[in-house]
Amino acid sequence: MAKDRLSEVLERYEAVIGLEIHTELTSLKSKMFCGCPVEFGGEPNTRVCPVCLGLPGALPVPNEAAVEATVLAGLAVNCDIALWSQFHRKQYFYPDMPKDYQISQYDLPFCSGGHLDVEVDGDAVFQRVDRDSEEEYTARIGITRIHLEEDTGKMIHVGGAEGRISGAEKSLVDFNRAGTPLMELVSEPDIRTPEEARRFAQKLRLIMLTLGVSDCSMEEGSMRVDGNISIRLRGEIELGTKSEIKNMNSFKALHDALAYEIVRQADLMDVGERVVQETRHWDVGAKRTSMLRSKEEAHDYRYFPEPDMVPFAFTEEWVESIAQRVPELPDAKRERFMGTWDLPKYDAVVLTSDLAMAGFFEAAVAQTGPARAKSVANTMINDFSAHLNAEGIGVDESPVKPSMLAELVVLVDDGTISGKQAKEVFSAMVKTGEAPAVIVEARNMRQVSDTSAIEAVVDAIIAANPDEVASYRGGKIGLVGWFVGQVMREMRGQGNPKVVNEVLRRKLG
Amino acid sequence: MAISESDVRHVALLARLALTDGQVSSLQTELNSILGHIDELQGLDLADVQPTAHALEVTNSMRPDVVKPCLSRELALRNAPEAEGGAFVIPAMAGAGEDV
Repeated sequence: MAKDRLSEVLERYEAVIGLEIHTELTSLKSKMFCGCPVEFGGEPNTRVCPVCLGLPGALPVPNEAAVEATVLAGLAVNCDIALWSQFHRKQYFYPDMPKDYQISQYDLPFCSGGHLDVEVDGDAVFQRVDRDSEEEYTARIGITRIHLEEDTGKMIHVGGAEGRISGAEKSLVDFNRAGTPLMELVSEPDIRTPEEARRFAQKLRLIMLTLGVSDCSMEEGSMRVDGNISIRLRGEIELGTKSEIKNMNSFKALHDALAYEIVRQADLMDVGERVVQETRHWDVGAKRTSMLRSKEEAHDYRYFPEPDMVPFAFTEEWVESIAQRVPELPDAKRERFMGTWDLPKYDAVVLTSDLAMAGFFEAAVAQTGPARAKSVANTMINDFSAHLNAEGIGVDESPVKPSMLAELVVLVDDGTISGKQAKEVFSAMVKTGEAPAVIVEARNMRQVSDTSAIEAVVDAIIAANPDEVASYRGGKIGLVGWFVGQVMREMRGQGNPKVVNEVLRRKLG
Repeated sequence: MAISESDVRHVALLARLALTDGQVSSLQTELNSILGHIDELQGLDLADVQPTAHALEVTNSMRPDVVKPCLSRELALRNAPEAEGGAFVIPAMAGAGEDV
């Protein structure tokens, strides 16, 4: 979709967006209410038992670590933790849920009333046309609640179009995922632009990764984002009719689906039609949403307290003990990177937006010393990131280790090799996995900074080129570059450019 | 609070029960008789009583995060009317929605 179409629509309409984000607690060993292992994939129905198959008489018992992880997540996003809470049954019929009800939470969730501050910068600032400034801004997004529930099984629909259920001849059900501990976070409808939605989801993902409760893989479905979105004319207070968007399986899909939906709803309202309350499916290939079901079929879940489980009574002391386990969160880490090593905000944001990146940086700086932190940051943000992107790999998969990058930074910093040579060493390091010093030695790349050695070469060049020397002294100052080139060629590129320059100017001048 | 005929039909639909008109009528009578007992409770002064979902004075019953043996797949699928490739087979669903 053309960006200008979205901005044209946003000039007239304001979007009101709330997100529902499901996160599987993949770091746990066992399922929510039984001892079956939590894993991804595998042969169908090999991680099931009477509890997660919903067999009569089976007794579900909550996983203590899942409850703790949910409270930990709630504390990390500024929620209040309920001292009295319980599970409820949510009744609906669907074959991926063998009990015909899902054990979830209703009016007494573990966490409620939190918020996240979301920074928006760059081009996407334009989406907030109500803001006069093009400066970056921070939006505070309320978090209504976080509750804990069990995930469903997985279905494969056979014989229908695109694996969709409509038109399928039959469906195959695999309950391996059924009963996986699943956290559902519901945001307040405080989000105003697709970019804010994306930043919110990204920040939440980074927090969950930092807490170590989930691998948050949007591809594998361990983090799933649904959106509720309506639009209203600017200045209008009353909310418009909302649609719910599902199947947004990446941050880009989240952004694009919401942007599409804003324009779709505006197109309807512009011609006097009304938006229908319905659930819509994002088709990433076609780049459009389509109706999944209308709200006339809306479910009547008939929640009631789960009779198989007793309530939870937490003490303030217990909540405090969980709060002690909240690690350094992304915002604090970014501030620390800026404060401790005097890094610009941009560098700190890039380095702390990925846990492995941040860990790599800290390990490398521990070796180079804090004075070279900026050089480490530069090398990571430029060469290292380019290498990761080119190979399509993560930080931990690279042959380049923190000690190697640190060594390279020191070699440049102490003048052993030039910045240009460092690029070559980096490329070799990526290919061979060898340490920089080994590469420098093997390729005889050691930079010559010794003044007397350079002086000897400079003298020879000056003696061999009397015409150029005369021109230079006659005022063609620009010829110094030509002389540098001659000296460097003579020294096979190993002269320290700074020293070469300095010696040349002295001798020529 | 009395249950109407349409309440009975609505709940039956949600529970996927196909009731005859006669069953709707008799269930309406039975359900209203059960609710009649609840009405007796409404007469009590319960202002100081917390809503109670459990008769037991027990809270925080949880299990440690420990893996236990699963069922074999053969056993898991034994009662399934139809299985294919290790999965339970579900017949085509008309007008089915999708939910998570």
